[in-house]
Order: sequence, then C-alpha cells, then structure tokens
Amino acid sequence: MATAAADITDHHDDHGPAKGIGRWLFSTNHKDIGTMYLLFSLTMFFVGGAMAMVIRSELAVPGLQFVDPGFFNSMTTMHALIMVFGAVMPAFVGLANWMIPLMIGAPDMALPRMNNWSFWILPVAFGILLSTLFMPGGAPAGGWTMYPPLILQTGDAFPFLIFSVHLMGISSIMGAINVIVTIINMRAPEMTLIKMPMFVWTWLITAYLLIAVMPVLAGAVTMLLTDQFFGTSFFLAAGGGDPVMFQHIFWFFGHPEVYIMILPAFGVVSEIIPTFSRKPLFGHDSMVYAAASIAFLSFIVWAHHMFTVGMPLTGQMFFMFATMLIAVPTGVKVFNWVATMWRGAMTFETPMLFSLAFVFLFTIGGFSGLMLAIAPADIQYHDTYFVVAHFHYVLVPGSVFAIMAAAYYWLPKWTGHMYNETLGKVHFWASTIFVNLTFFPMHFLGLAGMPRRIPDYSTQFADFNTIASIGAFGFGLSQLIFVAVIVTAWKGAKATDRVWEGSHGLEWTVPSPAPYHTWETPPKARIADEAFE
Amino acid sequence: MNDAERKKGIRRTALIFGGIALAFYIGFILVGVLQS
Repeated sequence: MATAAADITDHHDDHGPAKGIGRWLFSTNHKDIGTMYLLFSLTMFFVGGAMAMVIRSELAVPGLQFVDPGFFNSMTTMHALIMVFGAVMPAFVGLANWMIPLMIGAPDMALPRMNNWSFWILPVAFGILLSTLFMPGGAPAGGWTMYPPLILQTGDAFPFLIFSVHLMGISSIMGAINVIVTIINMRAPEMTLIKMPMFVWTWLITAYLLIAVMPVLAGAVTMLLTDQFFGTSFFLAAGGGDPVMFQHIFWFFGHPEVYIMILPAFGVVSEIIPTFSRKPLFGHDSMVYAAASIAFLSFIVWAHHMFTVGMPLTGQMFFMFATMLIAVPTGVKVFNWVATMWRGAMTFETPMLFSLAFVFLFTIGGFSGLMLAIAPADIQYHDTYFVVAHFHYVLVPGSVFAIMAAAYYWLPKWTGHMYNETLGKVHFWASTIFVNLTFFPMHFLGLAGMPRRIPDYSTQFADFNTIASIGAFGFGLSQLIFVAVIVTAWKGAKATDRVWEGSHGLEWTVPSPAPYHTWETPPKARIADEAFE
Repeated sequence: MNDAERKKGIRRTALIFGGIALAFYIGFILVGVLQS
C-alpha cells in the first residue's frame, strides 16, 4: 500500500490545481470535472425537485388551486427533462469521471480537453432550457416525449427547446466517447477487460448505448425543427408525414435511455454490496453478460411504449415477449446481489442501506414494468398514474438511491474525511419512508383510472393524492439532510486510504483524499493483483 | 503499449465512435426522409 502511495505521488508534486475560478473553467482534471458534474447534478436535482413540488402542491387536493393548467403542463415537461438530462445522467457522468480512471489505473480521462467541453456545454444547455420559462407562450408543455403535432404548438420556446436538447446530446455523446476511449486504451497493463470492476463495465456498456441512441434523439428533434421552420413534413400528416414515426424514433432512443440511467446504478450497487458483505461479488462475469444482454434487449422493445397507438398483433406479441425477456438478465443481477449477501459478514452503513433499498424498491419498479409489458393489460394502464408509479420506482429509489449510495461510498475518498454517519442514516430512512409514501399510492390511483399529466381530478382520487403530496414534500425536505452531510463532510474524522474494511479495488489503494494527480505511473502488478482479489 | 501506440489507439477509438454517432444521426434523418 505504501509503495502505491509513493508511486502515485512521484510526479506533478510541483504543481497542484490552478488558483481561483480558472481551476474550474479550464480544468482538464478528471476529478475537478467529476466534482463539477456532481455539483451541477445536485443543483438540477433541486431545480427539478422544486418543479415536482409545484406539481404535488397542485395535486394535493382536487380542483385548481395554485397554477393554471398550461403552467402545470410546463412543470411536468420541465421536471422530466431536468431530472433525466440534468440530474440523473450528469450525476453518473460525474461518478464516471471521478472513479473510472482511479479504478482502471489511468492518470486521467483519455480526452481531457473534450471532457472540459462536455461539462461546460451542460450549464449553457440548461440555462437555455430554463430561460424558456420566461418566454411568450411559456416553457414547453407537450411532455418530455415532445410528440408532434402537440409540441409544434409550443410558443417562442420551441427552437430553444430543440437547441438545448441538441446541446445535451452533444455533451452526452462526447462524454460517452471519452469513457469508451479511456476504458479501451488507458487500463493498467494487468487489468484485462473481464477483470474490470462492475462499475467500469456497466459504464462501458452505458457509453455504447449513449453513442447509439443520443444521435437518434438529435435526429428526431432536428426533424421537428425542420417541420416547424423549414417546410418539411416528416411528422405532419397534412403534408404526407407520419406523427407515429416520431414516436417510433423517439422510443428507439427513449427505451435505451432508461437503461442509460439504470445500468451505472447496477454498477454502483455491485461495488457496494460486496464491500459491506465482506465477500467478492457473486458471479462477476455473469453480471457482465447480464448487463450486456439488458443493453441489447433495450434496442428491440421500444414499441411497448406505443401499444395503444395501434400495431399489428404480431408486433404487439413481439414487443410484449421481448420486453418480458429483460426480466431474465435483470433477475440474474438481483439473484447475484442476494447471493453476494448470503452468509456475508454484513454491516449497514449508509451506502449499504441505500443499496439494499435499491435492490428491494427497484425490483418493485421492475415488476410493475412487467405488468405494463402485457399488451392487453397495458391498454388499461396506459397514460394512468400506474405508469407514473412504475417509472418513478425505477428512477428514484432506483437510479437516485444508487447515486446517493455512490456519493456516501466514495465521499471519504473524495474529501479525505468520514461523513456524519448518523445524519446519513437519518437521510436514508427519511428518504425511504417518504419515497414510498409518494409513489406507492400512485399504483392504486392508476389502477383506479386516474390519468397522468392533469392538474385536476375526480374527488374519488383525493385521499391517495394527498398522501402522495405529503410524501413528496417529505422527500424533498429530506434531501436537505444530504446537503448538510456534504457541507459537514470536511469536518469528520480523517479517512484511511482503504476507508471501508471490506473494500477492494485500485481506487482504495490511493490516499484519501485522492491526490490531484494519480496513476501517472500505472499500478504495479502486485498492487493490481491485491486490488483485484 | 508505449505512449505513441496509446495515442494512436485513443485517436482511432475516438474517430470510430464519433463516426458511429454521426452515422446514427444522419441515418435516422434519412429514415425520416425515406418514410415521409
């Protein structure tokens, strides 16, 4: 361990980070850029969360109370765009920036200047998107799916929406290229592909997905733009176009996008559960194949979002069964996490608690996904709150909990200090209780027929909506505890290099906090072997 | 792998995946052109 510490601090001791704002504006350091991604993501999490509070305030009781229906629709649209592209995706890119070079023994990302550009495009993109709130006609209100012809009714905000989506896409594609190039070319000599940690593997697969589908979204919104301003009729029935084609193209992007947001979460949980079970991950290689299978299947299931649009029976059958197939590799993953814990010497620090909640609650989201995959049943569930419950279970106690788990897990490595464990546990329990209070009643609302994306509803839905709103405010407030944990993170006890008793991997062989420059000399075989065990 | 080989590999991988991304972008717009 001492040798490793000496190796990694041999070079570049003469210069640390630049001083002042220049450090952040012009940084090409993967740790600085990772930190900026994570802070940006947290900011967007609160912005998107504030919009969720507007939505839940309006829906707390029947009738129209606070906002007009147009603004309500803007809130649902902007909440989704911000949470998907501004909060969850950048959080995982931030984690990738920080951890992938450390985990594979690389000194930095392969394309550091492009890395800087990838990040700084994001604040511009979201600045543009948020500015639409103040434009004539208001912010986009046609839903994050941007279906034509409805989305073409957007006011002055329309070209700004399209431009910001393009920017988000460019940022994601550049980030994905960087991850792939880094993993393929910058691994320590002894680290073969199959030896890579699961977080690195899931990110490699995620990056392939991003390369394949973000350009598809860009193509779809480019066609929307030309339909609106350049006289084309890609999606306009009056000009011989087909609005359903947009839905096919959008969901060819949109379904893999779901896996873009969950595969890195699988990677995080696959790192944390072995650490706190003090056992190696059960079935590492099968986890890799399962993640790859999920990624492949994600390309052939898109039309399950469109059962009610109408398609041939054979099409319905194909997309129904292909969707159900995803349960097999996902089941392999859940089985392996449980098998890793089996007879392990488990302890329940905050990262482990979030990971355990992930396994339970993501699985609930997975099962409701299976229900939605059944074409005849989906015709009943479609566009109801059951769908809202389903994808929020996948994305909040799924993706967001995994991000929280990762933040707690690696925070001591980033800051060099242990966070406040009591505060962390309070944050976990409050989040877990309130997330279920928010989203579980939505299953009942959906099954009872409450449609989604409406500001008012029949009085029969009142009680469950009130419960959901109370839960949402509780969940929102609980996240302030997370901010308190981060703010106080530098006051805790000094973290050891290894931080957690059961941790394995190259990232735990560098000092805490991780020096500004690491692995300028690739890790030696002995150190790597210890880390791989 | 020496530094020159690594740099060559980085450039090659970046170009391949950048090219794939561009192909998907143009390809799906072409799908739209052919369908409309």
